Amino acid sequence: MIDTLRRWWLRYASQLFLVVVGLILAILLRHNHGTVWLEAYQWLSRPFQRPYDPQVVLETAKLRELSYRLQELESQNAQLRRMLQLPTVLNGSPLWAQVIGRSADSWWQQVLISKGARDGVKVGSIVTGTGGLVGRVTEVSAHGSRVLLISDPSSQVGSALTRSRALGILRGQSLSTGVMEFIDRDPDAKVGDIVTTSAFSTLFPEGIPIGKIRSIDLNHQPAPEAVIDFSAPLSMLEFVQVYAPSHF
Amino acid sequence: MPHPISKMIIKWWQGLGVGQNLLLTMGALVICCLLMPLRLPGMTLMEVAPNWLLIWLICWSLNRPVVLAIVAGISIGLVQDSLTIPAEFMHLSPSHTWGMALTAGLTALLQKQRYIKENFISIALIVFAMTIIAETMIAIQLSFLGFDLSEVWAKQQQITLISALLTSLWTPVVYFPLSKWW
Repeated sequence: MIDTLRRWWLRYASQLFLVVVGLILAILLRHNHGTVWLEAYQWLSRPFQRPYDPQVVLETAKLRELSYRLQELESQNAQLRRMLQLPTVLNGSPLWAQVIGRSADSWWQQVLISKGARDGVKVGSIVTGTGGLVGRVTEVSAHGSRVLLISDPSSQVGSALTRSRALGILRGQSLSTGVMEFIDRDPDAKVGDIVTTSAFSTLFPEGIPIGKIRSIDLNHQPAPEAVIDFSAPLSMLEFVQVYAPSHF
Repeated sequence: MPHPISKMIIKWWQGLGVGQNLLLTMGALVICCLLMPLRLPGMTLMEVAPNWLLIWLICWSLNRPVVLAIVAGISIGLVQDSLTIPAEFMHLSPSHTWGMALTAGLTALLQKQRYIKENFISIALIVFAMTIIAETMIAIQLSFLGFDLSEVWAKQQQITLISALLTSLWTPVVYFPLSKWW
Protein backbone atom coordinates (compact mmCIF):
# COMPACT_ATOMS: atom_id res chain seq x y z
CA MET A 1 0.00 0.00 0.00
CA ILE A 2 2.68 2.43 1.06
CA ASP A 3 4.77 1.15 -1.72
CA THR A 4 2.04 1.92 -4.22
CA LEU A 5 1.63 5.39 -2.76
CA ARG A 6 5.36 6.07 -2.94
CA ARG A 7 5.50 5.00 -6.53
CA TRP A 8 2.54 7.20 -7.37
CA TRP A 9 4.22 10.08 -5.57
CA LEU A 10 7.51 9.58 -7.31
CA ARG A 11 5.74 9.46 -10.61
CA TYR A 12 3.19 12.27 -10.17
CA ALA A 13 4.74 14.59 -7.54
CA SER A 14 5.85 17.22 -10.04
CA GLN A 15 2.52 17.09 -11.87
CA LEU A 16 0.60 17.34 -8.59
CA PHE A 17 2.68 20.32 -7.63
CA LEU A 18 1.89 22.02 -10.94
CA VAL A 19 -1.83 21.27 -10.63
CA VAL A 20 -1.92 22.75 -7.12
CA VAL A 21 -0.06 25.84 -8.26
CA GLY A 22 -2.50 26.11 -11.16
CA LEU A 23 -5.42 25.87 -8.74
CA ILE A 24 -4.00 28.56 -6.50
CA LEU A 25 -3.42 30.79 -9.50
CA ALA A 26 -6.94 30.20 -10.72
CA ILE A 27 -8.31 31.09 -7.27
CA LEU A 28 -6.22 34.23 -7.23
CA LEU A 29 -7.42 35.18 -10.71
CA ARG A 30 -11.02 34.54 -9.70
CA HIS A 31 -10.41 36.66 -6.64
CA ASN A 32 -9.07 39.52 -8.78
CA HIS A 33 -11.98 39.32 -11.21
CA GLY A 34 -9.66 38.86 -14.13
CA THR A 35 -7.87 42.19 -13.86
CA VAL A 36 -4.65 40.44 -14.72
CA TRP A 37 -6.06 39.48 -18.10
CA LEU A 38 -7.20 43.01 -18.65
CA GLU A 39 -3.77 44.32 -17.76
CA ALA A 40 -2.07 41.81 -20.02
CA TYR A 41 -4.44 42.54 -22.88
CA GLN A 42 -3.91 46.25 -22.55
CA TRP A 43 -0.15 45.78 -22.36
CA LEU A 44 -0.07 43.54 -25.42
CA SER A 45 -2.43 45.68 -27.49
CA ARG A 46 -0.63 48.90 -26.68
CA PRO A 47 1.49 48.94 -29.88
CA PHE A 48 -1.71 48.76 -31.92
CA GLN A 49 -3.62 51.47 -30.11
CA ARG A 50 -4.02 54.75 -31.98
CA PRO A 51 -2.74 57.75 -30.06
CA TYR A 52 -5.46 60.40 -29.60
CA ASP A 53 -6.16 63.62 -27.73
CA PRO A 54 -8.87 62.68 -25.27
CA GLN A 55 -9.79 66.35 -24.84
CA VAL A 56 -10.69 66.81 -28.50
CA VAL A 57 -12.60 63.53 -28.81
CA LEU A 58 -14.60 64.26 -25.70
CA GLU A 59 -15.39 67.80 -26.71
CA THR A 60 -16.65 66.79 -30.16
CA ALA A 61 -18.73 64.02 -28.64
CA LYS A 62 -20.09 66.42 -26.05
CA LEU A 63 -20.94 68.93 -28.75
CA ARG A 64 -22.70 66.25 -30.78
CA GLU A 65 -24.63 65.08 -27.77
CA LEU A 66 -25.71 68.63 -26.97
CA SER A 67 -26.74 69.31 -30.55
CA TYR A 68 -28.85 66.09 -30.60
CA ARG A 69 -30.44 67.02 -27.31
CA LEU A 70 -31.10 70.52 -28.60
CA GLN A 71 -32.78 69.17 -31.73
CA GLU A 72 -34.93 66.91 -29.60
CA LEU A 73 -35.86 69.73 -27.24
CA GLU A 74 -36.59 72.10 -30.10
CA SER A 75 -38.94 69.69 -31.78
CA GLN A 76 -40.61 68.90 -28.45
CA ASN A 77 -40.93 72.59 -27.77
CA ALA A 78 -42.47 73.21 -31.19
CA GLN A 79 -44.98 70.38 -30.60
CA LEU A 80 -45.94 71.69 -27.18
CA ARG A 81 -46.34 75.18 -28.58
CA ARG A 82 -48.58 73.85 -31.33
CA MET A 83 -50.68 72.05 -28.72
CA LEU A 84 -51.00 75.19 -26.62
CA GLN A 85 -51.58 77.27 -29.77
CA LEU A 86 -48.74 79.62 -28.85
CA PRO A 87 -46.90 81.58 -31.52
CA THR A 88 -43.92 79.58 -32.75
CA VAL A 89 -40.34 80.64 -32.32
CA LEU A 90 -38.07 81.31 -35.27
CA ASN A 91 -38.19 78.40 -37.70
CA GLY A 92 -38.52 77.70 -41.37
CA SER A 93 -35.62 77.66 -43.75
CA PRO A 94 -33.60 80.88 -43.73
CA LEU A 95 -32.45 82.79 -46.77
CA TRP A 96 -28.70 83.38 -46.84
CA ALA A 97 -27.60 86.83 -47.90
CA GLN A 98 -24.26 88.55 -48.25
CA VAL A 99 -23.53 91.82 -46.50
CA ILE A 100 -22.66 94.24 -49.31
CA GLY A 101 -22.56 97.61 -47.58
CA ARG A 102 -23.03 99.57 -44.41
CA SER A 103 -24.82 102.73 -43.34
CA ALA A 104 -24.43 105.82 -45.52
CA ASP A 105 -23.50 107.98 -42.54
CA SER A 106 -21.75 107.55 -39.21
CA TRP A 107 -24.81 107.82 -36.98
CA TRP A 108 -27.02 105.03 -38.25
CA GLN A 109 -26.06 101.40 -37.72
CA GLN A 110 -27.24 99.57 -40.80
CA VAL A 111 -26.10 96.98 -43.30
CA LEU A 112 -27.11 96.41 -46.90
CA ILE A 113 -27.70 92.80 -47.91
CA SER A 114 -27.76 91.14 -51.31
CA LYS A 115 -31.30 89.71 -51.25
CA GLY A 116 -34.46 91.70 -51.90
CA ALA A 117 -38.17 91.51 -52.67
CA ARG A 118 -37.56 89.16 -55.61
CA ASP A 119 -36.04 86.63 -53.21
CA GLY A 120 -38.89 86.94 -50.73
CA VAL A 121 -37.43 89.44 -48.26
CA LYS A 122 -40.09 91.71 -46.75
CA VAL A 123 -40.03 94.78 -44.54
CA GLY A 124 -39.90 93.37 -41.01
CA SER A 125 -37.98 90.21 -41.92
CA ILE A 126 -35.75 89.02 -39.10
CA VAL A 127 -32.00 88.92 -39.72
CA THR A 128 -29.68 86.69 -37.69
CA GLY A 129 -26.01 85.85 -38.03
CA THR A 130 -23.51 83.51 -36.45
CA GLY A 131 -23.97 84.17 -32.75
CA GLY A 132 -27.52 85.48 -32.67
CA LEU A 133 -29.80 88.35 -33.56
CA VAL A 134 -28.49 90.95 -36.01
CA GLY A 135 -31.45 93.17 -36.88
CA ARG A 136 -34.59 93.75 -38.87
CA VAL A 137 -35.21 94.64 -42.52
CA THR A 138 -36.48 98.22 -42.86
CA GLU A 139 -36.27 98.81 -46.64
CA VAL A 140 -36.55 96.42 -49.55
CA SER A 141 -35.71 96.92 -53.21
CA ALA A 142 -35.99 94.31 -55.95
CA HIS A 143 -32.57 92.78 -55.33
CA GLY A 144 -31.35 94.23 -52.03
CA SER A 145 -32.48 95.28 -48.58
CA ARG A 146 -31.42 97.56 -45.79
CA VAL A 147 -31.19 96.11 -42.28
CA LEU A 148 -31.41 98.19 -39.11
CA LEU A 149 -28.91 96.59 -36.72
CA ILE A 150 -29.83 95.96 -33.09
CA SER A 151 -26.81 98.13 -32.26
CA ASP A 152 -28.60 101.24 -33.55
CA PRO A 153 -29.78 103.56 -30.75
CA SER A 154 -33.26 103.81 -32.30
CA SER A 155 -33.66 100.03 -32.52
CA GLN A 156 -35.87 98.71 -29.72
CA VAL A 157 -35.98 95.00 -28.97
CA GLY A 158 -38.24 93.48 -26.32
CA SER A 159 -35.83 91.22 -24.45
CA ALA A 160 -35.73 88.86 -21.49
CA LEU A 161 -33.13 87.13 -19.32
CA THR A 162 -33.16 83.35 -19.81
CA ARG A 163 -32.45 82.62 -16.14
CA SER A 164 -34.96 84.81 -14.32
CA ARG A 165 -37.28 85.89 -17.16
CA ALA A 166 -36.74 89.53 -16.17
CA LEU A 167 -38.09 91.68 -19.01
CA GLY A 168 -36.63 94.78 -20.59
CA ILE A 169 -36.16 96.81 -23.71
CA LEU A 170 -32.82 96.72 -25.48
CA ARG A 171 -31.45 99.60 -27.51
CA GLY A 172 -28.13 99.83 -29.27
CA GLN A 173 -25.18 101.76 -27.91
CA SER A 174 -22.17 100.83 -30.02
CA LEU A 175 -21.39 98.09 -32.54
CA SER A 176 -20.58 95.59 -29.80
CA THR A 177 -22.76 96.70 -26.88
CA GLY A 178 -26.38 97.58 -26.16
CA VAL A 179 -28.29 98.85 -23.15
CA MET A 180 -31.15 96.83 -21.67
CA GLU A 181 -33.62 98.93 -19.71
CA PHE A 182 -35.51 96.73 -17.25
CA ILE A 183 -39.26 97.11 -16.81
CA ASP A 184 -39.14 95.83 -13.24
CA ARG A 185 -37.87 98.21 -10.52
CA ASP A 186 -35.82 95.47 -8.89
CA PRO A 187 -34.97 92.93 -11.57
CA ASP A 188 -33.35 89.58 -10.82
CA ALA A 189 -30.27 90.11 -12.98
CA LYS A 190 -26.64 89.08 -12.62
CA VAL A 191 -23.52 89.74 -14.64
CA GLY A 192 -23.19 86.94 -17.20
CA ASP A 193 -26.94 86.32 -17.61
CA ILE A 194 -27.97 85.45 -21.16
CA VAL A 195 -30.34 87.83 -22.97
CA THR A 196 -32.80 86.66 -25.65
CA THR A 197 -35.78 88.22 -27.42
CA SER A 198 -38.87 88.06 -25.24
CA ALA A 199 -42.36 86.71 -25.88
CA PHE A 200 -43.71 90.25 -25.60
CA SER A 201 -41.66 91.59 -28.48
CA THR A 202 -43.91 92.66 -31.33
CA LEU A 203 -41.13 92.83 -33.90
CA PHE A 204 -39.12 89.69 -33.14
CA PRO A 205 -40.09 86.09 -32.41
CA GLU A 206 -39.26 84.75 -28.98
CA GLY A 207 -36.00 83.12 -27.96
CA ILE A 208 -33.36 84.43 -30.37
CA PRO A 209 -30.08 84.90 -28.49
CA ILE A 210 -28.92 88.52 -28.27
CA GLY A 211 -26.00 88.58 -25.85
CA LYS A 212 -24.74 88.50 -22.31
CA ILE A 213 -24.88 91.02 -19.45
CA ARG A 214 -21.56 92.79 -18.97
CA SER A 215 -22.49 95.18 -16.17
CA ILE A 216 -25.59 96.27 -14.26
CA ASP A 217 -26.60 99.65 -12.88
CA LEU A 218 -29.58 99.05 -10.59
CA ASN A 219 -29.69 102.65 -9.39
CA HIS A 220 -30.04 104.14 -12.84
CA GLN A 221 -32.99 106.52 -13.29
CA PRO A 222 -35.70 106.23 -14.53
CA ALA A 223 -35.19 102.47 -14.79
CA PRO A 224 -32.43 100.00 -13.89
CA GLU A 225 -30.09 99.31 -16.81
CA ALA A 226 -27.65 96.66 -17.91
CA VAL A 227 -24.93 96.83 -20.56
CA ILE A 228 -25.15 93.86 -22.94
CA ASP A 229 -22.35 92.39 -25.05
CA PHE A 230 -23.90 91.28 -28.35
CA SER A 231 -23.22 87.65 -29.16
CA ALA A 232 -23.15 88.25 -32.93
CA PRO A 233 -20.00 90.06 -34.13
CA LEU A 234 -21.80 92.97 -35.82
CA SER A 235 -18.61 94.71 -36.91
CA MET A 236 -17.45 91.83 -39.08
CA LEU A 237 -20.65 90.42 -40.56
CA GLU A 238 -20.19 88.81 -43.96
CA PHE A 239 -23.18 86.52 -44.34
CA VAL A 240 -26.53 86.70 -42.59
CA GLN A 241 -29.70 84.61 -42.47
CA VAL A 242 -33.05 86.23 -43.26
CA TYR A 243 -36.29 84.78 -41.87
CA ALA A 244 -39.70 85.76 -43.20
CA PRO A 245 -41.75 87.79 -40.70
CA SER A 246 -44.85 85.60 -41.20
CA HIS A 247 -43.51 82.90 -38.89
CA PHE A 248 -44.86 84.48 -35.74
CA MET B 1 -8.50 107.68 -88.74
CA PRO B 2 -10.91 107.44 -85.78
CA HIS B 3 -13.57 104.81 -85.76
CA PRO B 4 -16.96 106.12 -86.96
CA ILE B 5 -18.63 105.20 -83.66
CA SER B 6 -16.02 107.01 -81.56
CA LYS B 7 -16.35 109.98 -83.94
CA MET B 8 -20.08 109.88 -83.33
CA ILE B 9 -19.56 109.83 -79.57
CA ILE B 10 -17.16 112.79 -79.72
CA LYS B 11 -19.60 114.72 -81.90
CA TRP B 12 -22.46 113.91 -79.52
CA TRP B 13 -20.34 114.98 -76.53
CA GLN B 14 -19.40 118.28 -78.20
CA GLY B 15 -23.01 118.82 -79.19
CA LEU B 16 -24.17 118.45 -75.61
CA GLY B 17 -22.73 121.82 -74.54
CA VAL B 18 -24.41 122.81 -71.28
CA GLY B 19 -25.68 119.24 -70.90
CA GLN B 20 -22.08 118.08 -70.62
CA ASN B 21 -21.50 120.03 -67.46
CA LEU B 22 -24.75 118.75 -65.98
CA LEU B 23 -23.93 115.17 -66.91
CA LEU B 24 -20.49 115.32 -65.32
CA THR B 25 -21.76 117.03 -62.17
CA MET B 26 -24.60 114.57 -61.75
CA GLY B 27 -22.35 111.64 -62.61
CA ALA B 28 -19.93 112.65 -59.86
CA LEU B 29 -22.85 113.04 -57.45
CA VAL B 30 -24.23 109.58 -58.25
CA ILE B 31 -20.78 108.06 -57.78
CA CYS B 32 -20.47 109.83 -54.40
CA CYS B 33 -23.89 108.45 -53.35
CA LEU B 34 -22.85 104.93 -54.29
CA LEU B 35 -19.57 105.32 -52.40
CA MET B 36 -21.39 106.15 -49.16
CA PRO B 37 -22.29 102.58 -48.02
CA LEU B 38 -18.93 101.22 -49.17
CA ARG B 39 -16.37 100.19 -46.55
CA LEU B 40 -13.08 99.25 -48.12
CA PRO B 41 -10.25 98.09 -45.89
CA GLY B 42 -8.03 101.07 -45.19
CA MET B 43 -10.77 103.57 -45.99
CA THR B 44 -12.39 103.39 -42.55
CA LEU B 45 -11.22 104.27 -39.08
CA MET B 46 -13.11 102.83 -36.10
CA GLU B 47 -16.09 101.99 -38.33
CA VAL B 48 -16.35 105.58 -39.58
CA ALA B 49 -16.08 106.24 -43.32
CA PRO B 50 -15.50 109.47 -45.28
CA ASN B 51 -18.55 111.58 -46.10
CA TRP B 52 -18.33 111.68 -49.92
CA LEU B 53 -21.55 113.66 -50.37
CA LEU B 54 -20.19 116.45 -48.17
CA ILE B 55 -16.98 116.59 -50.24
CA TRP B 56 -19.03 116.91 -53.42
CA LEU B 57 -21.18 119.62 -51.89
CA ILE B 58 -18.21 121.68 -50.67
CA CYS B 59 -16.50 121.39 -54.05
CA TRP B 60 -19.67 122.47 -55.81
CA SER B 61 -20.41 125.37 -53.46
CA LEU B 62 -16.94 126.94 -53.63
CA ASN B 63 -17.65 129.36 -56.45
CA ARG B 64 -21.43 129.67 -56.29
CA PRO B 65 -23.81 132.27 -54.91
CA VAL B 66 -24.79 131.62 -51.29
CA VAL B 67 -28.50 131.10 -52.06
CA LEU B 68 -27.77 128.49 -54.71
CA ALA B 69 -25.35 126.73 -52.38
CA ILE B 70 -27.95 126.57 -49.61
CA VAL B 71 -30.55 125.09 -51.97
CA ALA B 72 -27.99 122.55 -53.16
CA GLY B 73 -27.16 121.78 -49.51
CA ILE B 74 -30.81 121.10 -48.73
CA SER B 75 -31.06 118.78 -51.75
CA ILE B 76 -27.92 116.89 -50.81
CA GLY B 77 -29.19 116.60 -47.24
CA LEU B 78 -32.44 115.09 -48.52
CA VAL B 79 -30.46 112.69 -50.70
CA GLN B 80 -28.44 111.51 -47.69
CA ASP B 81 -31.66 111.18 -45.67
CA SER B 82 -32.99 108.90 -48.37
CA LEU B 83 -29.82 106.82 -48.12
CA THR B 84 -30.01 106.40 -44.36
CA ILE B 85 -33.32 106.98 -42.56
CA PRO B 86 -35.67 103.96 -42.43
CA ALA B 87 -39.25 104.75 -43.52
CA GLU B 88 -40.73 104.04 -40.10
CA PHE B 89 -38.44 106.58 -38.40
CA MET B 90 -38.86 109.32 -41.03
CA HIS B 91 -40.43 111.82 -38.60
CA LEU B 92 -38.38 110.95 -35.53
CA SER B 93 -34.90 111.15 -36.97
CA PRO B 94 -32.38 113.95 -37.36
CA SER B 95 -32.24 115.23 -40.92
CA HIS B 96 -29.00 115.85 -42.77
CA THR B 97 -30.52 118.90 -44.51
CA TRP B 98 -29.67 121.38 -41.72
CA GLY B 99 -26.00 120.50 -41.58
CA MET B 100 -25.63 120.31 -45.35
CA ALA B 101 -27.42 123.63 -45.98
CA LEU B 102 -25.37 125.38 -43.31
CA THR B 103 -22.03 124.04 -44.53
CA ALA B 104 -22.82 124.78 -48.19
CA GLY B 105 -23.86 128.33 -47.32
CA LEU B 106 -20.77 128.92 -45.20
CA THR B 107 -18.50 127.55 -47.92
CA ALA B 108 -20.02 129.83 -50.55
CA LEU B 109 -19.65 132.76 -48.16
CA LEU B 110 -15.98 131.98 -47.46
CA GLN B 111 -14.96 131.87 -51.09
CA LYS B 112 -16.95 134.96 -52.02
CA GLN B 113 -14.94 137.02 -49.59
CA ARG B 114 -11.75 135.71 -51.24
CA TYR B 115 -10.09 135.18 -47.90
CA ILE B 116 -8.76 131.82 -48.93
CA LYS B 117 -6.73 130.91 -51.97
CA GLU B 118 -7.93 127.88 -53.90
CA ASN B 119 -5.61 124.92 -53.39
CA PHE B 120 -5.78 121.39 -52.04
CA ILE B 121 -4.68 122.29 -48.54
CA SER B 122 -7.22 125.07 -48.06
CA ILE B 123 -10.03 122.95 -49.56
CA ALA B 124 -9.11 120.08 -47.24
CA LEU B 125 -9.15 122.48 -44.29
CA ILE B 126 -12.57 123.82 -45.29
CA VAL B 127 -13.90 120.25 -45.58
CA PHE B 128 -12.43 119.43 -42.16
CA ALA B 129 -14.25 122.33 -40.52
CA MET B 130 -17.49 121.75 -42.44
CA THR B 131 -17.58 118.05 -41.51
CA ILE B 132 -17.37 119.02 -37.85
CA ILE B 133 -20.26 121.45 -38.32
CA ALA B 134 -22.39 118.95 -40.25
CA GLU B 135 -21.93 116.11 -37.74
CA THR B 136 -22.50 118.47 -34.80
CA MET B 137 -25.81 119.55 -36.34
CA ILE B 138 -26.92 115.90 -36.25
CA ALA B 139 -25.87 115.62 -32.59
CA ILE B 140 -27.83 118.78 -31.72
CA GLN B 141 -30.94 117.38 -33.40
CA LEU B 142 -30.50 114.05 -31.62
CA SER B 143 -30.36 115.80 -28.24
CA PHE B 144 -33.58 117.67 -29.04
CA LEU B 145 -35.23 114.42 -30.10
CA GLY B 146 -34.70 113.03 -26.61
CA PHE B 147 -31.83 110.59 -27.09
CA ASP B 148 -29.50 109.97 -24.14
CA LEU B 149 -27.42 113.17 -23.98
CA SER B 150 -24.22 111.65 -22.63
CA GLU B 151 -24.31 108.89 -25.25
CA VAL B 152 -25.01 111.32 -28.10
CA TRP B 153 -22.21 113.71 -27.22
CA ALA B 154 -19.68 110.97 -26.52
CA LYS B 155 -20.49 109.61 -29.94
CA GLN B 156 -20.43 113.09 -31.46
CA GLN B 157 -16.82 113.59 -30.35
CA GLN B 158 -15.71 110.31 -31.84
CA ILE B 159 -17.66 110.57 -35.11
CA THR B 160 -16.88 114.25 -35.68
CA LEU B 161 -13.12 113.95 -35.28
CA ILE B 162 -12.64 110.75 -37.25
CA SER B 163 -15.10 111.73 -39.97
CA ALA B 164 -13.50 115.17 -40.36
CA LEU B 165 -10.04 113.63 -40.60
CA LEU B 166 -11.00 110.96 -43.14
CA THR B 167 -13.23 113.21 -45.21
CA SER B 168 -10.65 115.97 -45.54
CA LEU B 169 -7.95 113.47 -46.47
CA TRP B 170 -10.09 112.03 -49.28
CA THR B 171 -11.15 115.46 -50.57
CA PRO B 172 -8.58 115.73 -53.42
CA VAL B 173 -9.97 112.55 -55.01
CA VAL B 174 -13.24 114.36 -55.72
CA TYR B 175 -11.97 117.92 -55.95
CA PHE B 176 -9.14 117.43 -58.43
CA PRO B 177 -11.14 116.02 -61.38
CA LEU B 178 -14.10 118.30 -60.76
CA SER B 179 -12.02 121.47 -60.43
CA LYS B 180 -10.52 120.74 -63.85
CA TRP B 181 -14.01 120.93 -65.26
CA TRP B 182 -15.80 123.65 -63.34
